[in-house]
Amino acid sequence: MLAAAVVTAALLAVALVAAFAGGGSSGVTYLDGNDTAVLYASGHRPLAPEFSSTTLAGTPMRLSSYRGQVVVLNFWGSWCPPCRAEAPALAAVARHYQPGGVSFLGVDERDSQASAEAFVRNFGVAYPSVSDPSQVIALDFSAVVPLAGTPTTLVIDPSGHIAGAVFESATYSELAAILAKVTGKGG
Amino acid sequence: MPVNVALGHVSNAFLIAALVIYSLSVVAFAGDFAYGRPRRAATARGQQAQDRAAALAAVGAPGRAAQAPAVPEAPGVPEPAGEPAASDSMPEPEMPALRAIREAGRWVLAAVVLSLAGVTAHTAAVVTRGLAVHRAPWGNMYEFITALTCVAAIFFLVVLIRYRAWTLGVFVMGAVVVTLGLAETLVYTAAGELVPALQSYWLDIHVTAMTLATGIFFVAAVLGFVYLWVDRYARRVAAGRAAPGNGIVRRLPSIEQLDRLTYRTIVFGFPVWTFGVIAGAIWADQAWGRYWGWDPVETWAFITWVLYASFLHARATAGWRGRRAHYIQLLGFTSLIFNILIVQTFIAGLHSYAGVG
Amino acid sequence: MTDVRAPETDPFDAAAEPDDPSRPGPASPAGGAFGLAGWLKWAWRQLTSMRIALVLLFLLALGSVPGSMLPQQGNNPSGVQQYFVSHPALAPWLNHLGLFNVFGAPWFAAIYLLLFVSLVGCVVPRTFRLAGSARTLPPRAPRHLARLPRSAEYATALPPAEAGIWVSAEKGYLREAGNLLFHLALLGVLVSVALGGLFGYKADRLLVQGTTFADTASALDEFHPGRLVTAADLAPFTITLNKFDASYIASGSQRGQPAAFDAQIGYTEQPGGPARTGHLEVNRPLSIDGATVYLIGHGYAPRFKVTDARGQVVYDAPTPFIAGTTGNFMSEGVVKVPDARPEQLGFTGVFVPTAVDVGGTLESVFPAADNPVVSLIAYAGNLGTNDGVSQSVYQLDTSGMQRLTTSPQVLQQGQSLKLPGGQGTITFTGYVPWVSLAITHDPGQLPALICGIAALGGLLLSFMIRRRRVFVRARSGENGTTVQVGGLARTDASGGFEAEFASLAAELRAACQQGRHPQREAE
Repeated sequence: MLAAAVVTAALLAVALVAAFAGGGSSGVTYLDGNDTAVLYASGHRPLAPEFSSTTLAGTPMRLSSYRGQVVVLNFWGSWCPPCRAEAPALAAVARHYQPGGVSFLGVDERDSQASAEAFVRNFGVAYPSVSDPSQVIALDFSAVVPLAGTPTTLVIDPSGHIAGAVFESATYSELAAILAKVTGKGG
Repeated sequence: MPVNVALGHVSNAFLIAALVIYSLSVVAFAGDFAYGRPRRAATARGQQAQDRAAALAAVGAPGRAAQAPAVPEAPGVPEPAGEPAASDSMPEPEMPALRAIREAGRWVLAAVVLSLAGVTAHTAAVVTRGLAVHRAPWGNMYEFITALTCVAAIFFLVVLIRYRAWTLGVFVMGAVVVTLGLAETLVYTAAGELVPALQSYWLDIHVTAMTLATGIFFVAAVLGFVYLWVDRYARRVAAGRAAPGNGIVRRLPSIEQLDRLTYRTIVFGFPVWTFGVIAGAIWADQAWGRYWGWDPVETWAFITWVLYASFLHARATAGWRGRRAHYIQLLGFTSLIFNILIVQTFIAGLHSYAGVG
Repeated sequence: MTDVRAPETDPFDAAAEPDDPSRPGPASPAGGAFGLAGWLKWAWRQLTSMRIALVLLFLLALGSVPGSMLPQQGNNPSGVQQYFVSHPALAPWLNHLGLFNVFGAPWFAAIYLLLFVSLVGCVVPRTFRLAGSARTLPPRAPRHLARLPRSAEYATALPPAEAGIWVSAEKGYLREAGNLLFHLALLGVLVSVALGGLFGYKADRLLVQGTTFADTASALDEFHPGRLVTAADLAPFTITLNKFDASYIASGSQRGQPAAFDAQIGYTEQPGGPARTGHLEVNRPLSIDGATVYLIGHGYAPRFKVTDARGQVVYDAPTPFIAGTTGNFMSEGVVKVPDARPEQLGFTGVFVPTAVDVGGTLESVFPAADNPVVSLIAYAGNLGTNDGVSQSVYQLDTSGMQRLTTSPQVLQQGQSLKLPGGQGTITFTGYVPWVSLAITHDPGQLPALICGIAALGGLLLSFMIRRRRVFVRARSGENGTTVQVGGLARTDASGGFEAEFASLAAELRAACQQGRHPQREAE
């Protein structure tokens, strides 16, 4: 009976350790000490799913047309307070990096045309956004990254792989850090 | 489909008729207590049966010893030709029910006939209500109580005839009359359609099972009260505080027989209740997206189930048989009633379809 | 030789009930020199006794009561909040005791876990005992069969038999098997519920007619994953609400009651997959790729178009309004226009599907939109949406805003309200219905059903079958052989052994009378 108890306790201990230890995966760097802002190392970058949609202005747009450039892909909605809070920071990042060849593209989630256009007008968003009212683009991306809501900002390298992500309101420094890594390495 | 108002009125008429006839049957059962044929002294052969019955009671065996007070004389079994009768003691074939009823006296005969008539009218009321509303007639509180008392009456009639339990008639049918009367006056609802949330064949299955089980537990509860009454009387006699030979108690079945009868009733009802809970879970999953959500009505159905399970456990536990087990059983029935009357009506939840508010 | 024992104990000589005083082993530790092993054995014996099982059953029932009386966090979180507001002193104490989440509380779990340990500890040994007793032969016939609960005796003209011939027979092992099946199936139900809690999820989504949603975490209004579930486990379908129809009873005593709901949907099981159509009704969910979609409720979403002071269209969308408690789908909602300039605009509104003016107030007299009007109060100022803190879409925080209209303004379809101070206009352009969907996945659902049915089957077996023994003895009698038959049954829940015994005895006697004795036939 004592032997049985010892074996059971040992098995329990092993199970507990396994459950808690299996957390970290290699190739992911946490920028802020938690998993809300991450960098994926080369070779561990998930491929960004292709999508084609129309921009708010009405022109058709495909993600693959950005192949060869670094793209900052920002999921937002005019109704979403954290998106509104990060908008100035995003605009500042865009102003700084766009001249250097980094492209910016927005994905407007669960929004109506009028509200989205008003948002773009007010925050002076200087880059196009595709509309995704039924969130199918978010669905596709949630298969490769833990995209849980808006705002989410992804940085895609020139080969079309997701190199970094911020899964909450992005700050200037977070985006700058990711972009430095991505553009510095040259992709 | 529109409600057939005329049939609804017919149903009400049948129900009033049933109430009246039941009341008369209660009077007849009571009359048997007061004026009924005194139980005949047993004949020689019957005496053997009496002795055996006494021995059986001592051994504590289950069995139809309920025969003892009610069997007035042994049936005339023709002896097999050529066989010496002296050492023969085969189990006696049971007297046919009709004969037993006739032997029991005019009051019992009247009471049984009236009860049968009442049940027929009651069943007709339930059926015509169902035809009037083109669905199973247990979709609100009034219909539910009408149906469950019908189940209780039918079940008790079967018990009455099978176990010759005429002396219990006044209690069970009396309870049926009171309950039906209260339903008619307090919670009557005219025939009507159901909200779409209830239009499902699982309604029929789940609520039918609950109606059946509640009707059966109703009978068990009445029997439980009778048990406690007889038990209390026996204890008082044993303590010398009451004279033995109380007229009513003497006519009632013995403590063991009451206990066994109640136990068998609950044994019948418990699987039906279990099935009803399972069917309710299936229906809940279809309608609300989850098979169990601790909705107040679900929770109290669970509590009721646990209490009846406790009764069954108590009967197998030393020190918990007898009176205590019946307290548990009555507590279970109380929780059942509480569920129907209070929880479904007043506590907000997904189940508020009682149609009373 | 097995004689009939004293009445209260089991006449079958299987191991007695745990509460039987004749059971071997000390009922309580005596002498003091017991040691840890002894105490553990004693504790185990207590735990698996019927008495403790009974106590635990009581506790289970008792513990469930507050779960039905107090608002529970899982079903009614707003009710819990309200309780805190209305009982500020009592509520925190109740919360400490876990009474706002009874069925997830550790003490409730302790009760049913102990109950199941007790169950397993009792059931497993009994299973072995059953297997053992099923393999052994029934015992010898007792000498005095007349003492058994059922007995019969008859004389035959057969030649005198040798002394001491007897037969003993036993039936009904399935009763105990049914009992064990029932209890094990209950354990199975518990495991199934745990499976659902670990690997299942529940989600909600409100969908306006004409719109589509994809089943991803960011698109769900509420998402409650099981402990081991992540957002990646959601099935990747999309659903479009093509049309929603609700019909109500138009006349009679039940006027206004819902008659039927029907949602026509289109869906794809994965992105780029074939488009399918389906119907969603109450009680008729749709199964899509492992998840089940239910139609839970519906309502109205009036469309508004807002133009700001600069003449720009800054809002043009259907806005879900939620039905209140007044009935007939009188619904309340909020329109937030955070990008109106120069100031943000907000509106609180009431949508009345069939509006009738009753002494100055608007009332809804029928749930269908036969005469839809909207009543609005306008605000301008700071909505609080730029602070980054999430807000409810159905509530307007007017603390940073200034009321523009002195009284609620009523609009018919197509009418506009011009805001004072040239702040803009709002037009009530129409309305569309919305539905609320529940999306669930529960891998424990089917196992729970199977275990429930198995429990029911075991219950029926244990109630309908009785374990019984019948013995027959033959001895020399006056003119031949006297045959004695005796029988007894363990708890005969459904009755019927007496009839069975009587017919068996009669059959034996008839066989004897017809002289079907091999010796006789040989003569």
